[in-house]
Amino acid sequence: MLAMDQGVVEEWLSEFKTFPETAISSYAASLKEKASLVPALYKVIRENYSDLLEPVCHQLFEFYRSGEARLQRFTLQFLPELVWSYLSVSAGRNPHHSGCIEALLLGIYNLEIVDKDGQSKVLTFTVPSLSKPSVYHEPSAIGSMALTEGALANHGLSRVVYSGPHLQRETFTAQNRFEVLTFLLLCYNAALSYMNSSSLQSLCQLSSRVCICGYPRQQVRRYKGINSRMMVTSEFLVQLITGIHFALCNGEPDLGSKALDDVLYRAQLELYPEVLLVGNAIKTSLHGAALKSNKEGTRSIQVEITPTSSRISRNAVTSMSIRGHRWKRHESQENSIDSPDSTPLGPIPTISVTGVSGERVANGEALRGRTEAEMLGGAAEPGLDPKGQEVRRQKSLRRHVEDGTPSTGRLQPRDAVDLGSPEELMEISEVDEGICTQAAVKEGSPPIIVVSSSNVTPSIGKTAGKGLRRLTGSKSSKDKEREKEKEGEVSRKQSCGRAMSENLELLSLKRLTLTSSQSVPKGGALSLSRTASAAFSRSFEQVSNALGVTNRASSPASNHSPKENRHSACSLQEESYMEHLSPANISVQLGPDA
Amino acid sequence: MTARKSGSRIETEIERCRSEGQWDKIPELVRQLSAKLISTDDVGELLLGEMKLQQFLKENPLKQNCSPRTACPPLTEARSHLTGALQRGNLRPELQQEASVLMGKLCYVEGDHTEALTHFSRVNLDDMQLSSAPIYRLAMIAEAYATKGLCLEKMSTSCPPSSAERDQEIITCYEKSGDIALLYLQEAEKALSVGMQNRSPKPGPVSQEQELGFFLETGLQRAHVIHFKNGNLTRGVGRFREILRAVETRTTQNLRMTIARQLAEILLRGMCEQSYWSPLEDPPAQSPLDEPQCTHTHTEYTLPRRARIYMGENLFCPQENTEEALLLLLISESMANRDAVLSRIPEHSADRVLSLQSASVVYDLLTIALGRRGQYEMLSECLERAMKFAFEEFHLWYQLALSLMAAGKSARAVKVLKECIRLKPDDPTIPLLAVKLCIGNLHWLDEGECFAQMVVDMQDKAAEFRAKGYLALGLVYSLKATDASLRGVQEEYQKKALGAFQRAQSLAPTDHLAVFYLALQLAVSRQIPEALGYVRQALQLQGDDVHSLHLLALLLSAQKHYHDALNIIEMALSEYPENFMLLFTKVKLETLCRSPEEALLTCKHMLQIWKSCYNLTNPSDSGRGSSLLDRAVADRRQLNTVTLPDFSDPETGSVHALSVAASRVEQALSEASSLQSSTPKHGPLHPWMTLAQIWLHAAEVYIGMMKPAEAMACTQEAASLFPTSHNVLFMKGQVAELRGNLEDAKRCYEEALAISPAHIRSMQRLGVILYQLQRFSLAEKVLCEAVQLCSSSHLGWHSLAEVLQAQGNMAAASECFLTALQLEASNPIMPFTILPRAL
Repeated sequence: MLAMDQGVVEEWLSEFKTFPETAISSYAASLKEKASLVPALYKVIRENYSDLLEPVCHQLFEFYRSGEARLQRFTLQFLPELVWSYLSVSAGRNPHHSGCIEALLLGIYNLEIVDKDGQSKVLTFTVPSLSKPSVYHEPSAIGSMALTEGALANHGLSRVVYSGPHLQRETFTAQNRFEVLTFLLLCYNAALSYMNSSSLQSLCQLSSRVCICGYPRQQVRRYKGINSRMMVTSEFLVQLITGIHFALCNGEPDLGSKALDDVLYRAQLELYPEVLLVGNAIKTSLHGAALKSNKEGTRSIQVEITPTSSRISRNAVTSMSIRGHRWKRHESQENSIDSPDSTPLGPIPTISVTGVSGERVANGEALRGRTEAEMLGGAAEPGLDPKGQEVRRQKSLRRHVEDGTPSTGRLQPRDAVDLGSPEELMEISEVDEGICTQAAVKEGSPPIIVVSSSNVTPSIGKTAGKGLRRLTGSKSSKDKEREKEKEGEVSRKQSCGRAMSENLELLSLKRLTLTSSQSVPKGGALSLSRTASAAFSRSFEQVSNALGVTNRASSPASNHSPKENRHSACSLQEESYMEHLSPANISVQLGPDA
Repeated sequence: MTARKSGSRIETEIERCRSEGQWDKIPELVRQLSAKLISTDDVGELLLGEMKLQQFLKENPLKQNCSPRTACPPLTEARSHLTGALQRGNLRPELQQEASVLMGKLCYVEGDHTEALTHFSRVNLDDMQLSSAPIYRLAMIAEAYATKGLCLEKMSTSCPPSSAERDQEIITCYEKSGDIALLYLQEAEKALSVGMQNRSPKPGPVSQEQELGFFLETGLQRAHVIHFKNGNLTRGVGRFREILRAVETRTTQNLRMTIARQLAEILLRGMCEQSYWSPLEDPPAQSPLDEPQCTHTHTEYTLPRRARIYMGENLFCPQENTEEALLLLLISESMANRDAVLSRIPEHSADRVLSLQSASVVYDLLTIALGRRGQYEMLSECLERAMKFAFEEFHLWYQLALSLMAAGKSARAVKVLKECIRLKPDDPTIPLLAVKLCIGNLHWLDEGECFAQMVVDMQDKAAEFRAKGYLALGLVYSLKATDASLRGVQEEYQKKALGAFQRAQSLAPTDHLAVFYLALQLAVSRQIPEALGYVRQALQLQGDDVHSLHLLALLLSAQKHYHDALNIIEMALSEYPENFMLLFTKVKLETLCRSPEEALLTCKHMLQIWKSCYNLTNPSDSGRGSSLLDRAVADRRQLNTVTLPDFSDPETGSVHALSVAASRVEQALSEASSLQSSTPKHGPLHPWMTLAQIWLHAAEVYIGMMKPAEAMACTQEAASLFPTSHNVLFMKGQVAELRGNLEDAKRCYEEALAISPAHIRSMQRLGVILYQLQRFSLAEKVLCEAVQLCSSSHLGWHSLAEVLQAQGNMAAASECFLTALQLEASNPIMPFTILPRAL
């Protein structure tokens, strides 16, 4: 160690003691200007036998204890070097030399696990959920998530996870060593933006060395020093990787990628899935970003103007377009006299079970659905014969394609609509999609269609309660369902605006019922679809409302309500649907007087 | 009157066409308009000029960074129309503004930036009314700001000395443009949905999917691009957030998806908890994120009308960078997921690649964010949604497998790993991961053997992993040996295991695990001196390995050096003070070579440790994956150590296939009973199992001290936690025996055996009791079974010998006595198999 460095360090050691409390923050600011201090301190830490080590550690701890953020960060920047120093000495089984470093590390740890009042600190992390509105989104606009058990369990709840409280530690033992070090790295990572490049380099070095010492790769890296293997834990490696990731993106691409490789190498040998997971993700995500190693502009975050229109070609079948498609097909089943069980299921139903959802169906999707229909059927050229149009009108294209029997809907005023161009066609289908729900309300048809959160009367209580109970997972029998239908009273509602879009969602939900019907008893299928509806509404209250409404609204046509109820389950055999849901009625209602 | 009416209808129609971009209808409408004579021709000129310009742009869309168009016929026409409208000056003021703005835009398109700016200088853009403006005008204003910004930027690059003021003006132009563009898009969508509802019987063709033109795209994005280019991260992030907080429209979906992802990238790559500020807070005045030289002159501006933002009560607002990144990624994911191209036909391969790319970036970032917080369970669910992209995509499959593994869903993870192996047969890590799972709590030994064999068969390709492969193979054999009920099979597996461990050790001489398992295997087959040699070697390689130390202690106890063993245990405990396995062994050793009182003190100490370890943890910290760092660190630490002796028996210790099943039954039964009684048993089971174990050990010490009442009390404590555990029942039987109540004891042992048919100690005691009840042949049968199940326990042999003796079968009895004697000479204080065998 040069005398000059020693002088700098000694000066630094002496000056802090003389400062009054009030001058600390200005002192903290002035630390940055001492260019030669930081390298000199690194040297002290690296040379384990230096006499200065103990006072330096003591001083760094004083800095940390001062509570001044800048002084704390000053200490933190040496953390990787300190950790390495500690680990290498303890691997050499000569623990006495690292006494003061150990004390410093434990000191920082013990300070960090308590808050200002000396109470144990519990770190919290709220896991965001799309089912809860946030500053960036509204749940209804997102459509559905996959209807997994987990998604339902977490519905409407924001999950908070905790870490801590942590135990105070007096000494390092083999058992708590990595627990403490992991926590210290967590603190370091929380201040990453404030770390200078020498600290980041030291972090990368620490990572590499910890991971390769004693393994064949040590020769590849030409690191001579300790050559016994160091035990690590996967949590520790994950924290290291977090730091490495930052270093990679902020001016240390070379050292960083080397370190990342070494950590991954070790994780493979140790078979740590957590580390492999995060490491692989970082590696591939940066691979695409093509890091630029510009030393000056340290940030490699670059943003360019991106085209806002979708780059996916329109006629490709996407999970969204297929939703629209299936939706239509399903409705055709409602309209035709067929039970879906007997319908040969093409490849499509199996594809997007998880993608099932209600989405806003606007023109784009309709278009997609249509073009896709064209692709599948090859029959949707404009200017087809009226029969063909009729088929399309009922959205039973797939059936048409599959068994060649156009459904027997009624040919009526819709002929007045000129189906000249594809645009017009498309628009009509849109009208259908939008309106049929209203029509359904008027006809008092299947239960699922009508949900209007605005129209809840207090008298619903009982049914709503049942609905909720069903939400908690029991399968209700078909008979129960029927009773409930009769219980409900007549109520009709106009659904418009958002309610309408919710209807659409619920309609498409029924598809889930269809696909799941293979495994679920039929009676349960309905309740499943209702359970599913939970995924979309904002809260359980609303769900209960919706269910109540559903039950009530379904009853008007009570003479055949039991059958209609099954409508949403899987067997559709009723003749009466033709009257209720046929688009013909719709266009009659909405036609000229609009 | 009628003329007036129809005139205004035409005007509305024109407004609608302009808003919806139906330029082809304009000429016809202009003709009608001029026929009505309600306006001058200048309006018509303006409209025609606009129409020409817009149609030109629609047919020849501008691209970022491309050269300006030279004058061409449609543009010249547009210019002549507009000049006509402007020159006469008969237009209403707002139309005059429109004309100037359009002229400016035209000039920009033609590449004449100075000219464009002079046009813009004629209109004060800030004066153009935003409130109650028709929709098309909102778009026009937004475009005008963007165009102005573009022109200013072009000018400042051509004459370099750009002042900070100028830069600021440019940014303000873009920001305003972006804000108004967002407003315009929201209004346009609103109008569209209204239009959809009261559509006339014969509706006109609906507008196509809205597309942002070049100008709006620039306006929306250029501001933050400049911020980031200048190294002003704070402002860039702020701008991102402003755009994202505006209520989504169909047209902004793709933009939002991209921006959300980019912002998440920045939050994950460039920020940390301390430099973070939440979206609802003001940014810090000074931030380490910004380049030091970047200026902080930010001109605040207010617009009379702004786009709607997400509002309402209880909006979730992130408080930490990872939280925000996660939220953004979830939003981005939901959109990326929707665009998954499902069709596999070759024509769509480009689309597939695109959709896969955009999604896998999002999933990688999600992995980074969730991995940081240890939320592997949630991650595995997210990655499962990615599976629709995953056909033949190794990375996605592998990540799913790893996340399942990290989330503890072992069985599924193995299945997914199989697919990974198919996709990438050369990677030795994958089958190794599978073996790790198989020999863990899945206990799928045959599958494990297959996977391990795969690694071994890779020969040199597996390089360093070959040793691991042999190690894995050895572990599988070793576990199979424990499971085997036939002596011959057992010995064969033991031999195979030894061979594999030796191979592993010769391939990786510095791997302490290979040496340790070699030692363990030798110990299990009671080659104590050899085992001691290897365990010392293992300790030289890894001095503070807890299992090696434990094994050393057990080996010493097998040689009856109890004091040395106790010393070793105490030394190990100084490094692992909270290791219950060591403590259990310590209790045993203390009863033997010190006094039961000391053993009881150790039990008390264990209870204290248990309390500090588990009571301290947050009550909500119960579920899996709920800890911030990972599943509770304490959990994890104990998983390797404590659960294994739980799964096995504390006595025979063998991780026996049957006992795995029994402990599952036990778990299920006690979970069921815990539903009725309100015992505080939420969360992971093993802390409670540990507690029960402690009580049972204490009970055993009391039994050794001949104190049935105390022993019963301890057993009751354990029984309150796990009333149907075979260990508890066994201990009850022991107490009953101590009290001389043989019938009770018999019943208890029988119950224990009903729950865990392979519980050796119950079997042995049952045999003894039957013997005492003079039911020799039944006793003989039970003891024979016990000896068969665990041939290395001298107690079984001894009891069997006594029974045989009582039956008068002296020859067989003496054989058995001899065996018991031999076994006793190498009997450790706790079975060697309590040491975990895992990768």
